[in-house]
Amino acid sequence: MAESENKEEFVKNLVAQDPPSADERLRHSEDLFRQIKRRARLEKAVVIAIYMAVYLVAFGAFMLRKHTDNAVHSVCWGTVSLHILLWSLVYVLRGLCIQMEEIIVRISDRDERRRRKSQNLFTTVVAIMLFVFSTFVLCRSFFLTDPLKAVERGVSILWAIVIFLIIYSFSTAGLIAKLWLEHKKMQLYTSTSKDDNSES
Amino acid sequence: MEQDKLSDAILVLRCQKRDESAFRELVDRWQPRLYYYVRRIVEEENAVWDVLQESWLAVFQKIRKLENPRKFPAWLYKISHNKAVSLLRKEGKYVQIAEAQMADYSENNGTIGVAKEQAELAHKLLAKLKLAHREILTLYFLEGFSIKEMAGILEVSEGTVKSRLHYAKHKLREALKGANGG
Repeated sequence: MAESENKEEFVKNLVAQDPPSADERLRHSEDLFRQIKRRARLEKAVVIAIYMAVYLVAFGAFMLRKHTDNAVHSVCWGTVSLHILLWSLVYVLRGLCIQMEEIIVRISDRDERRRRKSQNLFTTVVAIMLFVFSTFVLCRSFFLTDPLKAVERGVSILWAIVIFLIIYSFSTAGLIAKLWLEHKKMQLYTSTSKDDNSES
Repeated sequence: MEQDKLSDAILVLRCQKRDESAFRELVDRWQPRLYYYVRRIVEEENAVWDVLQESWLAVFQKIRKLENPRKFPAWLYKISHNKAVSLLRKEGKYVQIAEAQMADYSENNGTIGVAKEQAELAHKLLAKLKLAHREILTLYFLEGFSIKEMAGILEVSEGTVKSRLHYAKHKLREALKGANGG
C-alpha cells in the first residue's frame, strides 16, 4: 500500500517536472473536443444515411417489379416482423443503457444532467423517426403487387438491415453486460477496502 | 491503484458507447502523463500537442475495437508512440538504436526503487539518455508496464526491451549512487 502510494507520489512529482502551460492545455483540449464532437456527429450522420440509403434501395427494388406471390408476402411479413422485433430490442437496450448510466455515473452537475437528458431525448426522437419511416417503407411494399424477383433483389438488401440491427443489439447488450460487471467489481473493491480500513 | 484501473475500464466502456463526457474525463485523467511521455520523445512543444491531438483522435476512432478495457493504458501509449515516431521519421530525426552495443547489459534486470523525492533527479537523468532508453525508462517510471507490454507498445522484441531497460536502469543506479554520495 505504502509502496504504491510512494510510486504514485513519484509519478506526480516526475510529471510536475515538465508540465504543459495551462493556457496551451486549455486551448488544445478545447480544439480536441471540438473535433471529437464534429467526428461523433459525422459518424452518426453516416450510419443514419447508410441505413436510409439501404432502405430506399430495397424499397426501389420492390417498386420496380409487379406481380404477386403468397410466398413472397410471407417472406416480406417475416422480414417486417423481425424488423419490428429487433427495433423493440434496440429500444429496450437503449433504455437499459440510460438506466445503467444513471446508476454508474451519478451526475451531480445540473447542467451536465440537463445536457444528457436532451441528448437522450434527441437520440430517441431520431430513432423513433427512423423506425417509423423504415416500417412505413417496408409495409408499403406489401401494398404493391410484388414479384418473386423483387424478393431476390429487395429482401437480400433488407436482410442487410436486419443483420445490422442484430449486430447492433448484440454489441450493445455485450457492452451493457461488461459495464455492469466492471461496476460490480468497483463496488466490491470499494466495500472491501472500506472493511480493511475499519479493521485496521 | 486497482480502483483507478476499474474506473478507467468503466470510462473506456462508456467511451465505446460514444459517451463524450466519459471521453473528456479519460483525456483529463491521462493527458498529463501522456504529455510527459510524448515530450520525452518529441521535444518541441507544438509538435507534442500535434502528436497528442492525433493520438486522442485515433483513440476516439478506434476505441470500439479495444476488446479488453483493462489494456487501455498500454494501447494508449502504443498509439502515442506510433504517432510520435512517425512524426520524427517525417522530420528525419528518428534514429534506430544499435542493440548489439548493449548486449553486455542483457542480464541481471532487477527492479529499482526510486523515492518520491528523487523525481527531479530521474527527470534530469532522462534528459541525458538516448531516445530509445529515455522512452523505455519513462514508460517504466510512469506506468510500470511489464516487459511484454513495453515490447507491444514499442513494437520490438522482449529481448530488446530487457536490454534497453537494463542499460537505462544501470544509468539510473549510477545517478542515484552519485546523488546519495556513494
